[in-house]
Amino acid sequence: MLLHDAFKTATRSLMHGKMRSILTMLGIVIGIASVIVLMSIGQSAQNLILNQVQGIGSNLVFVIPGGSPNGRFSSPAAAQGIVITSLNQRDADAFSREASVQAVVPEVRGQGAAVYKGNDVTVSFEGTTANYFTVRNMMPASGYPFTKSDVDSFNHVAVIGPALAKTLFGENISPLNKTIRVKNLSFRVTGVLPAKGTGAFGIDQDNLVIVPLSVAQNEMLGIPYFTDIIVEANPAYDTNFVKSRITFILRHNHGVTDPNKDDFTIQTQEDVLSLLGNITSILTLFLAAIASISLIVGGIGIMNIMLVSVTERTREIGLRKAVGATERDILEQFLIESVLLTFIGGLIGIALGALIVGVVYVVLSSFFSFGWVFAFPPSAVALALLVSTLSGLAFGVYPARQAARKNPIDSLRYE
Amino acid sequence: MIEVRDLKKEYLEEETSTRALRGVSFSIKKGEFVSIMGPSGSGKSTLLNILSFLDRPTGGSYTFLGKSIDERDDRELARVRNEDMGFVFQAFNLLSRLTVYDNVEIPLLYSKIPAAERRARVEKAVRDVGLEEKLHTETGRLSGGQKQRIAIARALVTDPNIIFADEPTGNLDSQSGEQVLEILAALHQRGRTIILVTHETNTAEFANRIIRMKDGLIESDTPIVRSPRANGHSIK
Repeated sequence: MLLHDAFKTATRSLMHGKMRSILTMLGIVIGIASVIVLMSIGQSAQNLILNQVQGIGSNLVFVIPGGSPNGRFSSPAAAQGIVITSLNQRDADAFSREASVQAVVPEVRGQGAAVYKGNDVTVSFEGTTANYFTVRNMMPASGYPFTKSDVDSFNHVAVIGPALAKTLFGENISPLNKTIRVKNLSFRVTGVLPAKGTGAFGIDQDNLVIVPLSVAQNEMLGIPYFTDIIVEANPAYDTNFVKSRITFILRHNHGVTDPNKDDFTIQTQEDVLSLLGNITSILTLFLAAIASISLIVGGIGIMNIMLVSVTERTREIGLRKAVGATERDILEQFLIESVLLTFIGGLIGIALGALIVGVVYVVLSSFFSFGWVFAFPPSAVALALLVSTLSGLAFGVYPARQAARKNPIDSLRYE
Repeated sequence: MIEVRDLKKEYLEEETSTRALRGVSFSIKKGEFVSIMGPSGSGKSTLLNILSFLDRPTGGSYTFLGKSIDERDDRELARVRNEDMGFVFQAFNLLSRLTVYDNVEIPLLYSKIPAAERRARVEKAVRDVGLEEKLHTETGRLSGGQKQRIAIARALVTDPNIIFADEPTGNLDSQSGEQVLEILAALHQRGRTIILVTHETNTAEFANRIIRMKDGLIESDTPIVRSPRANGHSIK
C-alpha cells in the first residue's frame, strides 16, 4: 500500500470513532502538556536565576573566608553561618595593587532595625566602599550613591532599597535627604536603589540599606574583618587568571603552604553560573522525568484501545488479507493509526502546555515581583513531538503485530 | 489454469487430527464455471481456501497458472490473491462505515495503482453491477442484494483471472440471489473463470460443471445439462 493511502485509511479509521480517538489521545495530551509545562517553567526559572547572577555585575570574582575542602561544589564555611575573620584590609589592599584587578569591593553585612518616625522594620544592611554601586551594577534609581570621601570621613549616609523606602516613607514622600535610624545610628538617605527583587544569594535587595564600610565596621558591627570581598577583574585578563593571582596573594598573606588548607574560597561568576545552571538543569530534567510517567500511562492506554480495535476489526483484517494485503501492510496500517493518535495528541499537548505556561507567566508577572521571562524552548517542543511519536510506535507495535499475524480464514469467520 | 493432484489437508488440534481433504484431484481450465457442492463438513470450504491461496495443503500438489503453491512465499500468495483472484463471500464482508467507492477500491490499494486509474476502475466495476447511483452511499445503508453486487464489483475491480464465490446467495432472498447468480453467469459468458461453493443444487446448476464432495473426497465430477433459464445472462 502506498504511504499516502495508508495515512488516508488510518485517518478514516480514527475519524470513524472520533470520541474514542479523542479519549485515547487524552493520556498523551496530558503527558506531553506536563512535560512542556515543566520544561518551560524550569527553563524560565533557570533564566531568572542566571539573569540575577549576571545582573550583579560582570567579570566578578567572589572571595569568601573559609575553605571548601571538598571542592567547588561544597559550600564554604562562611556560607554556613560560621564567622570567620580571616579576610581583612591588608588582603583588599594587596588585591588593589594587582594589575589584573580593576576594582576591589569589601563587604560587611549585618541586621538591625530601620526606623523613620513611627515606622520600624528589621532590615539587612551592607557596609561597603563607594565603588560597590558601579561594580555591582546597583546605581541608585533616584538620588546618588555615597562617595569615597563619605567612606573615608565616616559620614552617616545611606542608600536604601525601594521596598524599604516605601515601607518607611509611604508612596508619596521622597526619602532623599531624610534621616533614618539604623541600629540606633542616624543616616541621611542619599539614594534609592532600583527594584531588583530577591537576589541570587537570598538577600532581598529591595529592602537593603547600604552604608559606608567604615561606619558599618567600626560603629555598627565593631569588627576589623570583612564578610567577603568582591573583585572586579580587569577586562584584559581572564577571570581564571585573576582567581589564580588572588589565590597566590591570599596564601602568601595568610601563610598557607598546603593548598588543601586554604582558609578562603574563591568563585568566579562563571563558576556560580555553571553551578546554578547545572542544578537547575538537573531539577528540570528530574521534573520532566516525573511528568513522563504520565506519558507511559497514556501509551498503555493507546495500546489497550488499539488491542480492542484490532479485535473489533478482525473481519476487516481478514478481508484486507484476502484481497491482497500482506502482513506488512496490516502492520503499517495499525502502526500509522497509533502514531497518528500520539502525534496529534502531542500537538494538542504542546498547545495546551503553551497555554498553561502563558497563564503561569501572566500570573507570576502580575502578582509577584519576579522578573519572570516567558520561555518556551524549541527543544521541549521537538522532544515532545519525538517522544509522542515514539510512544505511538512503541505502544502500537504489539497491537499492530497481533493484527498482522491474524489468520485470514479465521478472521473472515469471526463473529 | 488449476491443477490439483492428491490434495490433502489435515488439521491438528491438541492430540486429535481432522482430515478435511483426503486426496482430491481435478483440473479447471480457463473460462470454466465450476460449482463445488457438498454437505457441511464435506471439505468444500477447505478446498476453496486452498484454491484461493488463503491456506496451504498438508499433502499433494496444487498448481495455479503453471506454478505450484509450494514454490510461492506468503508475499507472492498475497500478490496473486490481489492480482489474479477475486473473492465473493456469503457474509459480503463489506466495511459498513465506508462508501461503496471506498469498499470497491480496497483491493486496488494493495496493487499500487495510481489514484486516477483506481477511480476509473472502481467506477467501471460499480457500473458493471448496475449500482453506479450508489457510488457514494455507505454500504451499511444498502440491501443484502445490493451489498453482494458491490462485493462482486470489489472482486472484479482488479480484473482477476478467476473469481471465488463462497455461498454468495446464502444470505439473500431468492430474487436477490438470482440477480447475483445472473451477474456471475454473465461474467462467465464473458470468459471469466468462476468457482462457486454452495450446498444448494439450484445455485450449483448455474455452473457448467459440478464437483460433488463428501467426507473430504470427490464423490462426482460431472458437466451439467444447461438449464434453459441460465442462457442469455447479461451484464452491462
